[in-house]
Amino acid sequence: RMEASCLELALEGERLCKAGDCRAGVSFFEAAVQVGTEDLRTLSAIYSQLGNAYFYLHEYAKALEYHHHDLTLARTIGDLLGEAKASGNLGNTLKVLGNFEEAIVCCQRHLDISRELNDKVGEARALYNLGNVYHSKGKNVASAGTHDPGELPDDVKNALEKAANYYEENLTIVTELGDRAAQGRAFGNLGNTHYLLGNFRSAVLAHEQRLLIAKEFGDRSAERRAYSNLGNAYIFLGEFETAAEYYKKTLQLARQLKDRAVEAQACYSLGNTYTLLQDYEKAIDYHLKHLVIAQELHDKIGEGRACWSLGNAYTALGNHDQAIHFAERHLEISREVGDRSGELTARLNLSDLQMVLGLSYSTNNSMMSESHVVENSLNGTRPRVGRRHSMENMELMKLTPEKVQNWN
Amino acid sequence: SQPLPGHQATELQSKVVPSKQILHSDNMEMEPETMETKSVTDYFSKLHMGSLVYSCTSKRKNK
Repeated sequence: RMEASCLELALEGERLCKAGDCRAGVSFFEAAVQVGTEDLRTLSAIYSQLGNAYFYLHEYAKALEYHHHDLTLARTIGDLLGEAKASGNLGNTLKVLGNFEEAIVCCQRHLDISRELNDKVGEARALYNLGNVYHSKGKNVASAGTHDPGELPDDVKNALEKAANYYEENLTIVTELGDRAAQGRAFGNLGNTHYLLGNFRSAVLAHEQRLLIAKEFGDRSAERRAYSNLGNAYIFLGEFETAAEYYKKTLQLARQLKDRAVEAQACYSLGNTYTLLQDYEKAIDYHLKHLVIAQELHDKIGEGRACWSLGNAYTALGNHDQAIHFAERHLEISREVGDRSGELTARLNLSDLQMVLGLSYSTNNSMMSESHVVENSLNGTRPRVGRRHSMENMELMKLTPEKVQNWN
Repeated sequence: SQPLPGHQATELQSKVVPSKQILHSDNMEMEPETMETKSVTDYFSKLHMGSLVYSCTSKRKNK
């Protein structure tokens, strides 16, 4: 019979998704939908799982479509719990798509129904989702500007404070429920919210809790995330040595987990941290490691950034030959990827180096003579990334909050 | 209901270093989302198990 066939296909889809093969799972679920069923609850479960599979595969438009079908169906058959779940999933998907206002409405619906049904687990999960939506909303608006953590416009601050409140509410419930895994997640995101708000001490406290729980579970990915977030917070507390220790732990775990991109990220963070510590040899060592992986991953933009960092570090050491080599490479890559501001920075760096080395260099390099054209085209606006000289004296200051200003 | 592995809003930038991260480290590591899950067996068991159990027990009684 057709009914059995739809169910069989859906069961196979479930099995495949649980085994981690969402792509194959999706085919079976879609086949099940094609066959069809008169049992609307079964259909709702299929839509929901299709939505989650597409979410997992980062195909958010499809995820949205299926979670929306699920919501409509749940409402039609008067399945309140099903409606709450569909609303939550729709909310998460809308958040990823950047539709924060609708996401809030959906997550709030998830919360309201959970409270109506006296479903504590559902209530906690809805609070976590709401926290995530407000966090993303705040971060999204913040990233449109050029703010550092702690320097925020009011709307960003409001969104982030709401996020922190939702995470706190979630923590109260999951602590009562004794759900350690959920506590770990809430602490991690609460820590990141405090970080964006500029509450770096609170961020450290939350990430320390996250770390503790990650170790309890032997969850090495979560452990690595906690180390990395702790490193970031200590940078902004001006405690660079401590930050370096956490980044080293991140690097160690990244290597164990064989995640090259994360390993590169850790090397880059370490390179920057040793730059802040004015230990340029170590900075170069880590930036070179980052460069190698960026090349291996065909990550041109990362490669350009590594070259820029290396150029700065070699200049700080007075190794002008290497500095010029990397500044030229930075210029080349910036042109290749169409990074205008990178190109301007590279030209300014090269013209600075030209000044240091005298004019002889410019005669055998045509790139140099173009630099004045670029400066004219700026129309008086300064590029975001300053000259190397200013990096030592000013850019570090600008990029780190007031608390750090007495670091040297 | 289980958390999904973390995904990151894909920046069309470096695969490794986010665009904002020029000098300081600003690559926050978020926790994974949790999605609500449904299963066809939830409903299937409620719908069919009752009658299945009934038929089994009634068969046994008939013996």
